Amino acid sequence: MKKIKKWFDSKSLIFPNKMYWFIIPALLMFTVFWILPIFQLFRYSLTNYNGITNNFRFVGLSNYKFLLRQGTILNSSKNTLIYTIVLVLGNNILALGLAILLNIKIKAKGLFRTIAYLPALFSPIVVGFIWSYVYMPDSGLIASLLNAFGFGAINFNILGNYDWAIYGVAIVEIWKRFGTTMIIYLAGLQTIDTSLIEASRIDGCNEWQIVRFIKLPLISASITINIVLSVIYGLKAFHYIFVMTNGGPGTATNTLMYQIYNIAFSEQMMGKASALAVVAFLVIITITIIMLIFMNKREVEL
Amino acid sequence: MKKIVALSLLMMLIFSAVVLAQDSEEITLTMLWSGTAYENDFETEILPRLVKEKFPNITLESTKLPDDQYYTVLKTKLASGEAADIILVQPGMAGANGVLTLAESGLLEPITNLKALDNFGPQARDVYTYEGEVYGISGGLGILGTYYNKDMFAKYDLKVPSNWQEFLNACKVLQDNGEIPIVMGDKDNYVMQFGLYQIGANGHYKDNPDYDQELVNGESKFTDDGTWDDILAKYKTLYDNNYITESSFGLSAQQAIQLFVDGNAAMIFDGSFNASAIRAEGSANFERGYFPLPANPEGEDTYASVSISGGPAITASSEHKEAAKKVLELWFDGQSEIFKEYIDTGRFIYSYGYAADKSDPLFKPFIDLYQEGKSFYWFNQQWPSGVNDQMQESFTEAVYGRKTIDEVTEDMQLKLEELLMYQ
Amino acid sequence: MNKSFGRKIAIYAVLTFFTAVIALPLIIVLSSSFRTPSNMQSHLKLFTEIDLQSYRIAFNTMNFPMKFINSIITTGGSVFVIVVIGTMVAYPISRIKNKFMRWLYYFFVAGLVIPAQMVIVPVTQMFNTLNIPETRFTPMIMFITCSLPFSTFLYTGFLKKIPVELEESAYIDGASLWVRLKDVVFPLLKPAHVAVIITQGLWIWNDYFFPMVFLTKSKFYTLPLGMIQFLGSKDNPAQWNILFAACILVVLPLIVAFSLMQKKFISGITAGSVKG
Repeated sequence: MKKIKKWFDSKSLIFPNKMYWFIIPALLMFTVFWILPIFQLFRYSLTNYNGITNNFRFVGLSNYKFLLRQGTILNSSKNTLIYTIVLVLGNNILALGLAILLNIKIKAKGLFRTIAYLPALFSPIVVGFIWSYVYMPDSGLIASLLNAFGFGAINFNILGNYDWAIYGVAIVEIWKRFGTTMIIYLAGLQTIDTSLIEASRIDGCNEWQIVRFIKLPLISASITINIVLSVIYGLKAFHYIFVMTNGGPGTATNTLMYQIYNIAFSEQMMGKASALAVVAFLVIITITIIMLIFMNKREVEL
Repeated sequence: MKKIVALSLLMMLIFSAVVLAQDSEEITLTMLWSGTAYENDFETEILPRLVKEKFPNITLESTKLPDDQYYTVLKTKLASGEAADIILVQPGMAGANGVLTLAESGLLEPITNLKALDNFGPQARDVYTYEGEVYGISGGLGILGTYYNKDMFAKYDLKVPSNWQEFLNACKVLQDNGEIPIVMGDKDNYVMQFGLYQIGANGHYKDNPDYDQELVNGESKFTDDGTWDDILAKYKTLYDNNYITESSFGLSAQQAIQLFVDGNAAMIFDGSFNASAIRAEGSANFERGYFPLPANPEGEDTYASVSISGGPAITASSEHKEAAKKVLELWFDGQSEIFKEYIDTGRFIYSYGYAADKSDPLFKPFIDLYQEGKSFYWFNQQWPSGVNDQMQESFTEAVYGRKTIDEVTEDMQLKLEELLMYQ
Repeated sequence: MNKSFGRKIAIYAVLTFFTAVIALPLIIVLSSSFRTPSNMQSHLKLFTEIDLQSYRIAFNTMNFPMKFINSIITTGGSVFVIVVIGTMVAYPISRIKNKFMRWLYYFFVAGLVIPAQMVIVPVTQMFNTLNIPETRFTPMIMFITCSLPFSTFLYTGFLKKIPVELEESAYIDGASLWVRLKDVVFPLLKPAHVAVIITQGLWIWNDYFFPMVFLTKSKFYTLPLGMIQFLGSKDNPAQWNILFAACILVVLPLIVAFSLMQKKFISGITAGSVKG
């Protein structure tokens, strides 16, 4: 009892134990609609619950067995990883590069920043529609441009291609996100004291050395946050697959989140969807832990 | 005595007033259908107009959605108990709107007492029957066949093939002359069923008509040798030889029909339900023909793929069941204006009333085979909904060389077992 | 001098290229939305026709006014609740220093990495168990829940930087705990509120996933969910002009908001990511 009290007591007059009441609404919602459901996933994953009838029964590990034997776990984890890696690299390299360019005093900086940010305002469903047009074979934007420049013979159809479709979808997410990422990098770069740069220039550092040894270490907080955000968005990959490819061609763009949704709501196998969600949970936790360890180490090095 | 008479008169007056009032009440019926609406479309334009003419107090609001969306919308609406009054259902278990699946979940209203049902033979009623009650009206006979460009066949001196080898030879001749032998809109991969079920009708089902039944009770498997592996392998030869090109995976079903209509391809596998689209005028003028795909070996008879097709049903959640029944009664009575217009679309094959002498010469070979018993139903009607989707998905990967035929049948078997577990 | 001039040219070239990549699809969408639905000219020919027919059709098919109002209610309501309960939960977390509070913080923040799609199956079941009816407010429950990890993270970060002395003097002046939160702390958190409102508001306004899962009646649909009915038209070039008009209609409210409060948007994003 004493121990529990020691744990909870605030030991302060200004911040009395009464403050605990402030936690209640958020904690209640979060527990009921987020934490409890996560635990329930494990239970549902062992049943043949179909979302309609409530007289489901326990079927042991069958859902997991089917997921494994159908190759769903491997395939959707692989696609999710590719998507995440492409997003993390593409998004951050582009955004960081352009942020460094923009940070040099040039005209039209505000204009460019505004345009780069525009796609971030759009609903993913609108972005999906726009890029369906961009990628459309024959009459879409890229196909028309290729035609106009005389590459008419090329049969452009990236979303219909087994090997490239997942990259095609990841590019859409980069298009939408890199403006935001760039603004975060810009904010980081602007905090750097210009006298530091001047000093290093006097010391004979070239542009590359300034970027590598002064700018990058000084914005390591921005780098960390942007990479973490990209990883989170990558693991959540869903929207553009829902709008543009429905997981196809075949299963080439089935990511974990799309597959869960698809199994739950199109195939109406809530039990199997829960089983895949449990797997996704483990995948995400593993990646998060690896990322945290890696980030800690890197920040120490820089 | 007087009092009683007066009272009963009063009662009758009130009763008839109530009945009349109800009858004159404005009713809005909703109908959800799948398919693509064309100009002057039967379901979305003609039917609502004729219903209004016949029953001035009934307004029929009819919506038509592309197949995939139809299934999604139907499922969510059914689950929330606010589906349209009249919906399109499929016989057996075919698709998400299979009549047995829906009836089992109590989502449909029995219509066993409908007089119009007397027009149909036992077969057409059976496939819509669940535990003794009829839940849907047959959409007539549906055919899966091979439409061909008669002029192009004549140009290369080809006649309608009567066995698989002849068929392959015809494809070869067309290909050698620089024509596209077969065009398919495989981007909408359900169209694969159009070819596969025709081949299937000539496969092991001849020897074992109960095969699909045995699949469900576990006596047979998709992976059994000489069953679906043969059917799929046959269909795959068409892709391997580029008789159906890989670019078909970039075409939608509608685009493929357009290419055929424009005279760019010699053949297309499609159903009687798309006959009007196939007949539509394109940029080339040619005569259309229709034959059952002769997937049989030399010297054997060709079997056709003919089935009772999808038709209307009334949902259990409907608030105007009686009005909906009235509309269906008139729609299928055999001589009403609605029935005539329905038949005149040329998409539906019935054998009673006005339709009896209206049969399309294009469909005659199929109807003959059907009556001789040389035909099989569309197989997905007997599979739990989802197996055919798996077949399409895995077969696509087989065409791209990512899976073997055996892996396709394994996938189908796994899917079947899984779906049975969820029943 | 020459070298730096060349460098400038190169920089502008790179920037122009990326501007084109970002802007070209948007310009084409805008230009084509002003065409009549039947105008099937190449979309690369920009602004050859100015006509509002496609807009009229899109506006009517999607019943724009009703969906717009639903979007306003959903976004406004959710953001309001998030700001209130987010501040409330972060306040004790940042002020009481014990193990329980530290774990509670991790407990919320861990939610950042869990995607909403993952829990959707048990959540829908939870809604059934609790008999939560389908209204236009239903998706708000999940919008609020899902934004708690981020808002807790952000508010706690900001609160830790606010000196305790202000609250101490308020305490000495006899202000109650609630008054201290409401009148001293809450106003000081203005930059955090901006960040939460901008980032979470943007996400909630644009999201179609929760509305799609929880709403079946079209009178409750929000703008992005209304776009789902156009899914069939995206593969059909004959429908594109109307589809594009619908896209513009859906993003227009945000473009207007952004152009009025550009500074707030930028500071909201950077605050949301750098602080904490």
